[in-house]
Amino acid sequence: MEKKLLEIFNTVLTNRSKEAIKGLTPNMHLRNDIGFDSLDLAELTVRIEAEFDIDIFEDGIINTVNEVFDKLER
Amino acid sequence: MKNIIVTGASRGVGFNITETLVKEYYHVIAINRNVSDALKDLQIKFPDSLTIIPYDLADTENIHSKIFKEEITYDKSIHGLINNAAMAYDDIITNINFKRLEGMYKVNVFSPMILTKYAIRHMLLHKVAGSIIHISSISAHTGYKGLSMYASTKGALESFSKNTAREWGEVGIRSNCIVPGFMETEMSSGLNSQQKDRIYKRTSLKKPTFIESVSKTVSFLLSDDAFSITGQNIHVDSGTI
Repeated sequence: MEKKLLEIFNTVLTNRSKEAIKGLTPNMHLRNDIGFDSLDLAELTVRIEAEFDIDIFEDGIINTVNEVFDKLER
Repeated sequence: MKNIIVTGASRGVGFNITETLVKEYYHVIAINRNVSDALKDLQIKFPDSLTIIPYDLADTENIHSKIFKEEITYDKSIHGLINNAAMAYDDIITNINFKRLEGMYKVNVFSPMILTKYAIRHMLLHKVAGSIIHISSISAHTGYKGLSMYASTKGALESFSKNTAREWGEVGIRSNCIVPGFMETEMSSGLNSQQKDRIYKRTSLKKPTFIESVSKTVSFLLSDDAFSITGQNIHVDSGTI
């Protein structure tokens, strides 16, 4: 799952001409550390939903990679 | 082939839009409560260009699961959304019935918003710079006795469209409203000829709005020729003054 998530994160980053990241750590902040803005986060949600069939933003905003893991492991 | 969602495609303006688009080599995904004979005939003539999804847009909550997940699926890209379906609950304000008002808001406002949400998500997934078009009404701009509630739903759509354009323009997604004047459709069939004449006299052309003119404007706004048009209300109303 983590490998697929990293692939999705990097698809979103490169689609918006941002630098890809080498790996994911749980405490990474989606905006401050990875550099996603609100439109990137929308695309991230869609791509994760298409892969895992879970809408990570359905119940509100999430901020960290760990929160993404939590949503997918539920 | 570009995939375009059209709501309320069974009759009136929605049917004419659907017919226009399939003839222009679009693939239309028609969402309707009832499937008319005319729509069935059109599907026989254009089997590869028309998919019909029977769905009542009064059910806002199941749009995601029933329309997008089960029918459209993640594999299919969406290039355009035409929010046309609407119901009219007409009365003077002192008679407002909340349940009927709420029912109209579900069909005319809440479902179009949720459809827009998932259409944009599909556009993001497939990297499509799509076009969203809401069919508004002249009643949102020129008051008519008894239409305040209906007009308010169209005013809500116009505000939503303007803000959609601002929010998603950065990724190339456009949103516009078409504002038709009074047309000869089932929705206006409750008016008598005197009432209709009074309405048409308020237009520059002194005529009803032709449905074909609305459909051709939809087609233009979907096309690349309209690439720089977003956040606009395009009046197709015989010049209503």
